Amino acid sequence: MVNTFERPLSEAALLHSCIFSPETELHNAFGLTYGQLQKIIADASKGSGGKNGFCDVFLQAGSAQSLTLDQEVIKSATSSHVNGAGVRVVVGDKSGYSHTDHVTVANLKRCATIARAISEHAQESANLALMENQKAVQKPHNLYQISQSPASWDLKDKIALLRKMDQMARAYDPRISNVSVSLGVEDYTIIIATSRGDIFADKRPLVRLNISCLAEDGSKRENGSSGGGGRFDFQQLEDEAYWQEHVLIAAKQAIELLNADPAPAGEMDVVLGAGWPGVLIHEAVGHGLEGDFNRKGTSAFSSLMGQSVASKLVTVIDDGTIAERRGSLNMDDEGTPTGRTVLIENGKLTGYLQDRQNASLMKAGLTGNGRRQDYRFAPIPRMTNTYMAGGTSSPDEIIASVKRGIYATTFGGGQVDITNGDFTFSATCAYLIEDGKLTRPIKGATLIGNGPKALHQVAMVGNDVSLDKGIGTCGKDGQGVPVGVGMPTIRLNGITVGGSKS
Amino acid sequence: MATARLEDIAAAIVHQARKLGAAECDVTITTRNAVETSVRLGQVEKLEGAQMRGLQFRALCGAKGTKTASSSTSDFGAKALKQLVKDTIATAEASEEDPYAGLPEPGDLAREYPDLGLFDPAVEKIPVETKISLAKEAEEVARGADPRITNSEGASFSDSAGQIVHANSRGFLGSYHGSHVSLSVGVVASQDDEMQVGGWWASNRSFDKLESAPAIGLKAAERALRQLGSRKVKSQEVPVVFDPLMAARLIAQFIGAAAGSHIYRKSSFLVDKLGQVVASQGVNIIDDPLMAGRLGSHPFDSEGLPARTRTIIEEGRLVTYLLSSYAARRLHTRPNSGSLGNLYLQAGKESPEEIIGSVKNGLYLTSVSGPGFKVITGDYSLGASGIWIEDGKLAYPVSGITIASDMLSMFAGIEAIGNDLVFRSSTASPTIKIGKMTVAGQ
Repeated sequence: MVNTFERPLSEAALLHSCIFSPETELHNAFGLTYGQLQKIIADASKGSGGKNGFCDVFLQAGSAQSLTLDQEVIKSATSSHVNGAGVRVVVGDKSGYSHTDHVTVANLKRCATIARAISEHAQESANLALMENQKAVQKPHNLYQISQSPASWDLKDKIALLRKMDQMARAYDPRISNVSVSLGVEDYTIIIATSRGDIFADKRPLVRLNISCLAEDGSKRENGSSGGGGRFDFQQLEDEAYWQEHVLIAAKQAIELLNADPAPAGEMDVVLGAGWPGVLIHEAVGHGLEGDFNRKGTSAFSSLMGQSVASKLVTVIDDGTIAERRGSLNMDDEGTPTGRTVLIENGKLTGYLQDRQNASLMKAGLTGNGRRQDYRFAPIPRMTNTYMAGGTSSPDEIIASVKRGIYATTFGGGQVDITNGDFTFSATCAYLIEDGKLTRPIKGATLIGNGPKALHQVAMVGNDVSLDKGIGTCGKDGQGVPVGVGMPTIRLNGITVGGSKS
Repeated sequence: MATARLEDIAAAIVHQARKLGAAECDVTITTRNAVETSVRLGQVEKLEGAQMRGLQFRALCGAKGTKTASSSTSDFGAKALKQLVKDTIATAEASEEDPYAGLPEPGDLAREYPDLGLFDPAVEKIPVETKISLAKEAEEVARGADPRITNSEGASFSDSAGQIVHANSRGFLGSYHGSHVSLSVGVVASQDDEMQVGGWWASNRSFDKLESAPAIGLKAAERALRQLGSRKVKSQEVPVVFDPLMAARLIAQFIGAAAGSHIYRKSSFLVDKLGQVVASQGVNIIDDPLMAGRLGSHPFDSEGLPARTRTIIEEGRLVTYLLSSYAARRLHTRPNSGSLGNLYLQAGKESPEEIIGSVKNGLYLTSVSGPGFKVITGDYSLGASGIWIEDGKLAYPVSGITIASDMLSMFAGIEAIGNDLVFRSSTASPTIKIGKMTVAGQ
């Protein structure tokens, strides 16, 4: 449901294929006209030196809702209403930003005044500016076609879904002693207007369903969780097969962990399952390939373009154009259509992820990765859906190839030090592999490696590539954005596993 | 907006909600003006500023006042607020009973709000040139500290000032102002192919009490430089000395598990541990929201309960859980606030040098990474870096390793507590030594 049209300030309007008009949305959501916005942009651009400067206004309106069922009781239904905007002025490698929680012409003017103060400090960077070098407007994507806003769905239907999941989980095993189910939906209208004369609009629905099961056996307690979501109709969550899968995963994991052994400690061979373990890719290479760190030379990957950074079996892609995915967007938060960027091809580093400012400064093309948490933040280079491409081995063959190691399928998350490249990610559910067979469940395994080195240790790549189920949120510089990760089953040789059993 | 005006808005919403059929309700309004001034490589890089505000409204409806819904908005217009109240009440009515929902009992609400010196009017008047020059100075000192400092992530000066207003239908109406300043810097040290980032910061409620820019810069450089030449060690079980930052992080994780919401949901390793020994004998952990001018201080909590100093761990014994009124009703006890103020581990007698000196072979932990702590079991496994200790001396930097154990074993194994307690943020701890953890490396 995206529509863009470009209107150079001095020329006639160029209207592309319209599903809805940005100007209509601007009026409906904010009570503003495009003319008023253009005046704000002109005001913000004062002093930032003709073609060396760039300015945009990002407006966001809509709401988010959440509902939780815990201990068989519906907890507070919450909703938050948003109507805000941010004004950004960029001059070379400098930028000014200001936002308002309440969109009025007067508030936007104040933002423009605060944002443009940067131009007084930008004299020396004028020759770095290349902001007009790229045309953002291409054929728009239409990646999330929904019939009804998830925010308008009936509360009773939402409660009914949570109740069904709770009952099924409790029936799974008498040791399941508590169930917590939560639902989050959001729907935002985004409008971006720029000093280059563009105005873009997007409507972004997002739904998410999570379940967590507590299992008790004597004094032992464990929990298991699962969840999914994406930019699709709320109705899809109500599909039995959809929610039942998550109930079963969470309940099974909680019960299995009751009998899990502590993870071993030390270097060993590890098999990572398909899907969510792709958080490895996100941490080990994804962040290190974001344009800002590489422009500044603070990433462990800064000087490695074209070089071998992984085994030849490894190809890594960031793709924001996959329909209905949590990490997908019709356009990024600067109005650039999202793309598919090959970051590593057969082991060689081939690409970075860019926002407008860093692409300009690095004289690189836009990739559609300029993202922000919301209107309160300036955009920075971020991932969308990042995954390792599939190979030729079967998952069974990969597990069978390991004499002693672990097989990890579920991860809580990860973290990376961009500069030295050390990354960590933690398995919530894993199994011991002995003589090629899965033997015992184990818990509490943190895996640690170094970004530019670890992927050289990829020894086998499965033919079962898949993306995660749609609950990932990535944090950077205090901003959280929804992302996807993915991977086939892979074998990673000699990685350090941080268990407590030495 | 003036406090009186915000209090009027809050009171009006409470009044309106009662009129529109809510059994009970509460409102929280927050406003904040924030500015961030960033420099990199000696030049201004980013200027950001905003005036923020938000209002959160909660309605308790139904015959028993136990059907709950809450909404937030930043539109303070009378028409928009009336609609918000109406919609929230409608949602609550359409929801289900939660027998434990409710406001605090009138007798439990705060009656007096001490002035804790949380607002420094000077913060809003700092000239932008001063902020720029402080950030530049911190970065310049860090970059000049050693030729091996080759790059910078930049330095930032942030300041904010705002207020919080809370009102409920049981007669509570309170407000307070707060201010905050911080200065941070990150630089990169390099040697051959290796790069290490080091950062440091200071923050305070008062501008004139902020640590000096050169001190922050020097510390950032030192932290980057000391990690150069990092190596991995063999997997082994050793004592781990947590520096004050890492110790504070650990204390926050441990006490986080005492939150009432974890306890009534039986999802914490501290379930059924009230009154029991959960740490070694010298361990005293205190939450004090009433310390004058400290970052975590507040006169009342987010539901209007009074702020009181409380001991959570006394000589190793768990004295109390952290109980919001909801958690207290769930656990059939009295509330004592679910919010934390200034949380700290009481200082011991030994100097950090003495503690390091007591370790023959072990880890001095300065950084951890990853989400590897599970509240329900207390299982702990994190990526780690720091300095290896040999014969009581800091010998060489290590990284790419993990440390693992479980919280109860770790706290039972606290063998030494330092005398170096400094309140840098709302959680503080001196250096501590844990007798044994599993280090995984080569």
